[in-house]
Amino acid sequence: MNENEIQLKVQALVDGELTGREAEELQQRINNDATLQQLHERLTQMRGLIANSELPRPLPESGDFYWNKIAESIEREERAGERIAKPTPANRWLLRWLAPLAGVSTVVLLLTLQQPTAPDLGITLSSDHELELSSDEIDVMTYNSDDDSMSIVWLDYSMDIQKDYMELWLD
Amino acid sequence: MPAEPDYSTAEAPQLVDRAKGGDLQAFEELVSRYRDRAYARAYSIMRNEDLAVDLSQNAWVKAWQRLAQFHGEASFPTWLNRIVTNLCLDELRRRKRARTDSIEEIEEATGPVENRMDIQEVDPMERLNREELRERIDAAMAKLSDNHRTVLVLYEYEQLEYKHIAEKMGTSIGTVMSRLFYARKKMAALLGETLKRDGLIE
Repeated sequence: MNENEIQLKVQALVDGELTGREAEELQQRINNDATLQQLHERLTQMRGLIANSELPRPLPESGDFYWNKIAESIEREERAGERIAKPTPANRWLLRWLAPLAGVSTVVLLLTLQQPTAPDLGITLSSDHELELSSDEIDVMTYNSDDDSMSIVWLDYSMDIQKDYMELWLD
Repeated sequence: MPAEPDYSTAEAPQLVDRAKGGDLQAFEELVSRYRDRAYARAYSIMRNEDLAVDLSQNAWVKAWQRLAQFHGEASFPTWLNRIVTNLCLDELRRRKRARTDSIEEIEEATGPVENRMDIQEVDPMERLNREELRERIDAAMAKLSDNHRTVLVLYEYEQLEYKHIAEKMGTSIGTVMSRLFYARKKMAALLGETLKRDGLIE
């Protein structure tokens, strides 16, 4: 440890940042070294002088003027926050009608693109498209529509079954 | 209809609770009670009246927005002063007023050992009353560089540990220790000068 490091350690001891064995060893060293003792005393003295010496300082302007600026800023920021949070009437119309439409379109597009092939899940697909499941761990909900020639099957797996097995079939 | 609370006599935690519920009048009462403290802390760091006013006002706005995050672990003025300090540190970073710091940082790193060792003895306690002493300390603090003054404020006034000062100042613990040591040494020298000049010490 060089001289500068020792000084910083002495300061750390004065500041209560050094504890345990390290603190004891340094304290012993200080007890046997007049220069370090002097440094320790002066650092302790400086610490005592500066701590809690912050001057109370009154505002250089009137309290009302000070508060008005704060209140204006709060109001301005809250209005800005509301503008972001509250959609305009046009945006509201878009959100109400276009968002669901976009959602439905996306689902239809996805369903169209993901034309089903029978996955190898141990599930057999019979000719009249009824499903059978080979596992008790899978809950099935089926939607059939003869008019649309469509069946939708939701499979609900327990967590330990691979996600990859989840599939949707369309007739 | 509930009675209008008497804001001027309400306890601070009660005012904080009301302010959390959106009561701006309760918040105004908090401002009125602690605005001087917030301003004083900003001034201690920035040493500029206008900046200290602006930054302390910004701190109040932030405090209003973050009231939900205040759970009373520290007192309200302590919590508020931490916001003030953080804003001041941000401002110092933005301004990068490091010209004088860089000279002192070079001294910290390369100054002669004997120069570093000499922390002047200052024992004016019996010759000055507390108020006079505080004024002299304040005047000496004003002469420190931003980095040295800030590290002293964070340690002595904010009572933060080295590691938390390092986090706030974006530096290492070693640098914090070095800055603190140098700042104290300089404070001792500045106080010694002023006390000698006034014939209070030999």
